[in-house]
Amino acid sequence: MNWTWFHKLGSPKWFYQWASKWAGKLVWIGLLLLLIGVVWGLAFAPADYQQGNSFRIIYIHVPVAMLAQSCYLAMGIAGFVALVWQMKLAPVFIKSVAVVGAVMAFIALLSGAIWGKPTWGTWWVWDARLTSVLVLFLLYMGVIAIQNALDDQVFADKAVAVVSLVGVINLPIIKYSVEWWNTLHQPATFRLTEKPSMPMEMWLPLLFSALGLYLFSAGIAMWRMQTEVLKRERKANWVKQEVMSDGI
Amino acid sequence: MNYTSFFKAEWLSLLRRKQDTLNALLFFVMVITLFPLGVDPSSEFLAPAAGGIIWCATALSVLMAVEGLFKEDFNDGSLEQWLASGLSVSVLVLLKVLAQWLMVMVPLLLALPVLAQMLFLPWSSLLTVMGSLLLGTPALFLIGAIGAALTVSLRRGAVLMLLLILPLYIPVIIFATGAIRAAQLQMSVSGQLAILAAMSIVALALAPVMTAISIKASVN
Repeated sequence: MNWTWFHKLGSPKWFYQWASKWAGKLVWIGLLLLLIGVVWGLAFAPADYQQGNSFRIIYIHVPVAMLAQSCYLAMGIAGFVALVWQMKLAPVFIKSVAVVGAVMAFIALLSGAIWGKPTWGTWWVWDARLTSVLVLFLLYMGVIAIQNALDDQVFADKAVAVVSLVGVINLPIIKYSVEWWNTLHQPATFRLTEKPSMPMEMWLPLLFSALGLYLFSAGIAMWRMQTEVLKRERKANWVKQEVMSDGI
Repeated sequence: MNYTSFFKAEWLSLLRRKQDTLNALLFFVMVITLFPLGVDPSSEFLAPAAGGIIWCATALSVLMAVEGLFKEDFNDGSLEQWLASGLSVSVLVLLKVLAQWLMVMVPLLLALPVLAQMLFLPWSSLLTVMGSLLLGTPALFLIGAIGAALTVSLRRGAVLMLLLILPLYIPVIIFATGAIRAAQLQMSVSGQLAILAAMSIVALALAPVMTAISIKASVN
């Protein structure tokens, strides 16, 4: 297998140019898919026989919660890459994704609370899964906080890599807490590998909105990474040329 | 410098600063006192909550004790000596954490029966509380050392370190209090204790390496 594309991604300049081509497209395609999924889910999918219409928040809640976890997993992998291969872009990636992930975790908590009120009769329970998403949110905030506290860029990059790698240990606990503690929260509704437990016309919009949110967030993260690369490489010649060619 | 002399030196310097050890213990007692005062002093509340109260107090005092773990070594240049000594920094970290663990946990465990009585913890579950502390606190110390190494160069790193490290303590606290609750219900506790031990072993394998990376990055 040819790995040149991967090695090329390690160079800020090449990444910047590659991202300028793709980031916008990803955001718009993601937004479109998300819109299709959400409108389809909110307006056209059949109501749940038990929860009625209140289940429809699933089309926001589940994709957002999935993304909150995936972002952290991606950060952990990037942390490993940053520590072992010292790729320049890995810390940039962590810094950009941390904010996206924190927002997703927050929306997951919020939408979960809104969903919990009509179905469980309470905004919040100290259930394992809810608690671990709260912890996930705090972990994101920790990464953002240490990034802001350390002035030395090299040290800050190392620190966030360590923190995100260590925090990834928390992910399996989140993932398997439902099975471990068997609590109020229903088990995961959405798995690509298994036959869906809900009917097709409910499941498809969920697939659309999840896929859309993934693409959208990837695009947003790439935009943030581009900004960060520009900031870090501000003394490089190619950045000057890039800015000049934009007509400034 | 070799590993034995390093450990001896660390141990001696901890012994000569008895006040620090005493402070950690007093802090532990103080936090425990806050619960009856702040929530409810009746034995109906305290007896079932005792395990959780003890564990929360332990987690906080461990963080307080670990927070300054590398501070002095950073300021007087010992950390640079570590890096220049040719010894494995991970092993040095492990030895330092071991000395600190002994220094904090031995007095704490000795004081525990008295405090447990004040919280109306049934005698039958005292052994489980002690077991959970012995098996679980190594993970707390080792994970805390990572945070201490990351924030050592900051003048006001304590709050940041709490924010970074406390979320990672939650699984340990959950399983420890789970074991204590099981003991109070006369159920088997070996499962939860085994998970606690597993967490400490994982921390033992990974945390010193992470701490060493952080120390190297901080010294720079």
